[in-house]
Amino acid sequence: MLSTVRQALSIAWRSLRTMRTALLLLLLMSLAAIAGSLIPQEGASDLAIERIKIAHPLRHSVYSSLGLFDVYGSWWFTLIYVLLLISLVACLIPRTRGFLRAVRSAPTSAPDLGALRAHAVAPVDDATPEAALLRARTILRRRGFRVRRVDNAGVPQLAARKGTAREGGSLLFHWALLLILVGVVWGRGAGFTGVVAIVEGDTWVEAHANYQTNIREGRFFNEDHSNISLRVDDFTAAYRSSGMPEAFITTGELFDPQGRSLGQVQIQPNHPAVAHGVRFYQNAYGYAPLVVVTAGDGRTLSDAPVDLEQARDLPGAPPVDARTKPWNGIVRLPSLRPQVAVRLQMLPDAQAAAVGAPAVTAADPVMLFWVYEGDLGLSSMKPINETDLSSMREIGSGFVPMGESDTVQVPGIEGAEGTLTVGFPELREYTVLQVVRDRGIAIMLVAALCILGGLFTALGSTRRRVWVQASTVGSDTVLEAGGYALQRRAQFDEQFVTLFAALAPHTESS
Amino acid sequence: MTQVSLTTFWVALGCYLAGMVAYFVYLAVRREAVYRVANTLAWIGLIAQLVSVIARAFAAHRVPWGNMYEYSVMSALIVVGAELIFVEWRAKVKTVGGFALAYAVFTMAIATMFFYRGPEPLQPVLDSVWLKIHVFAMIAGSSMLILGSGVVVPLYLWKRWREGKQAPAVEVSGSGEDAAAPEEGAPADLTSDEVHGGAPRRGILPSSDVLDRVAAQIITIGFFIFTFAVIAGAIWAERAWGRYWNWDPKETWSFVSWVIFASYLHARSTVAWKGKRAAIIALAGFAALMITYYWVNLGSASLHSYAGLPQ
Repeated sequence: MLSTVRQALSIAWRSLRTMRTALLLLLLMSLAAIAGSLIPQEGASDLAIERIKIAHPLRHSVYSSLGLFDVYGSWWFTLIYVLLLISLVACLIPRTRGFLRAVRSAPTSAPDLGALRAHAVAPVDDATPEAALLRARTILRRRGFRVRRVDNAGVPQLAARKGTAREGGSLLFHWALLLILVGVVWGRGAGFTGVVAIVEGDTWVEAHANYQTNIREGRFFNEDHSNISLRVDDFTAAYRSSGMPEAFITTGELFDPQGRSLGQVQIQPNHPAVAHGVRFYQNAYGYAPLVVVTAGDGRTLSDAPVDLEQARDLPGAPPVDARTKPWNGIVRLPSLRPQVAVRLQMLPDAQAAAVGAPAVTAADPVMLFWVYEGDLGLSSMKPINETDLSSMREIGSGFVPMGESDTVQVPGIEGAEGTLTVGFPELREYTVLQVVRDRGIAIMLVAALCILGGLFTALGSTRRRVWVQASTVGSDTVLEAGGYALQRRAQFDEQFVTLFAALAPHTESS
Repeated sequence: MTQVSLTTFWVALGCYLAGMVAYFVYLAVRREAVYRVANTLAWIGLIAQLVSVIARAFAAHRVPWGNMYEYSVMSALIVVGAELIFVEWRAKVKTVGGFALAYAVFTMAIATMFFYRGPEPLQPVLDSVWLKIHVFAMIAGSSMLILGSGVVVPLYLWKRWREGKQAPAVEVSGSGEDAAAPEEGAPADLTSDEVHGGAPRRGILPSSDVLDRVAAQIITIGFFIFTFAVIAGAIWAERAWGRYWNWDPKETWSFVSWVIFASYLHARSTVAWKGKRAAIIALAGFAALMITYYWVNLGSASLHSYAGLPQ
């Protein structure tokens, strides 16, 4: 029983060591990747998954249990990945050993040059065989061969070889490929990716809690967030008249954990800001109007920018141009009895909205609002914009262009003193930044350079071996050469002819 | 400038079309004069297209590879250019031109019918030096791979098939390129396709191993550039999105194509797999490239969907 297991393991190990297995695993990985490109993936196309769930519940549950909605994070994808790693190592170690042995070993003599693929004999003008070999050595060296003098059963012989770089480059390439696989795991595992929205004028500290829940931390990440902070001074979005985006710029200042300035930053697409290994990428933006809610006696109940969001497209419905959609948000007033929520809906460009045109800029912002009373459900810890209004009762509504305010009667709300006034003094924007730390980047860059270098050497060089010997026949010196190539043999045949023509001028190869 | 670009585009397309016909006539009649006409037409078309691309760059004030129309045009340019240089000039193979021009005509016709957009500036996320490097390398690399796997390899397979039918009539020579070297200790090729060597050529196309070698050379160069392009793309993605690899459909399909062509190169250096099997792998690679270009750009939810199609 034990020996059977051992046998099976040894067969498995031996087959893992073959190049064919490595290639097969790579092909398997690309098949899995194809599945991932055909089936909507979590995070990238949640809406499409939702659609499948509604239209084909069975298919959804089958896909879901097979991990097909998260191919690249599934256990079987990881399995292929790990097997590929092992297979590469198992392939590479013996090959590297063999390569090092071959590089160190002295070149051998060829006993019978006539038996080689390419062969030629011809008389030369040199007075002695020694002189002929000396000349041949120079010619071979000039053509990039490494030449050694060897002894062929008493006859001096030149052993020349070229193209060791091919195997070296190939090995470098494959080791670098392995390094890439390791770098991916290490980089993702030891880092994090988060998304954060910061309103103009606010300062945000890079710490776990401040991502709300929008952060994915790697498996080996040990909670050492940088604690640097970013103050956002301004966000600008510019569009061309055609509606095509022109620029998205977040302007601000970075500070180290002690509050010392790390300098002004401008974050734009393709131009992330970097500090303490943490990168900030421009990701999206939205509107955050300053909303002031006051009670009937003039007391301020709420005075803060409110992050507005646009409704997601509904599954099953055609996508809607984002620039025609209103911006929604909620202000919660938990101190009132019963509790009150003010639902806000803002249109950045009322004139454009009136004719159904997309709002390119916030040219004419107006806000509609609805006042609800009831239970805010604060114990459920939901994000503000997901407050459940269906259990609350609408008691009034209003309309505020920017710079003005509107008052609604709210009798029976304790703490509101009869009315609530909603003011909209200022429209700010918030910028959405992606915050990333990936410690594998340097590894990946080195590996990428090695891949290119290795590939170039491996594909560009060819292995050739040539032997030359000379002897005296009668009064003539006769030069004999033979050789073979491991790659591009037809080309070598031609090269050998020209090489021999140089070694023994005015003669023809046999 | 826009007008110059458009006019020269049509000149190039016309030359390619006429050149294609001439190449095919050459295949039928095998007159050197016909070949010279075909070759000249191809060169004139190439120069006209080069002018078209440069004029486009001036009209748009940026590099001329910012949307699918421009990408298609560049791809046709590089396929034709590489064919003229690597196949006709260096390898002295005169019979591939018509098929390369057919690809160029097909690509350009689709581009002008479905993808055309006037010259306009780029979206902010595309405005990067890495974009210029990544996209250009991608066009160059994939065009070389297309030329090798989609044009030369099918001809190789066809020629092989023809030679297989004629095999008994042809003298078998042992000095063929693929005859086993002493080191590999390989048996004589089992697929018995070594029917070329010094034997007189039969049929129109050069012997199959010449085509095999030319295809491999072009695919090798293409593979190297393609690898560089993927790496440059990863660097750009890192700058633009904060992730060097995201398994986005286009990245996935580039990876798939890369793996297939890597398999092709491995297969070619393996005795049992070289020849026909390797060629079939190359055909699969060509299919993967076409899927990457047409399906991913037009049919999938990809961050790479910058096709910039007319709305």
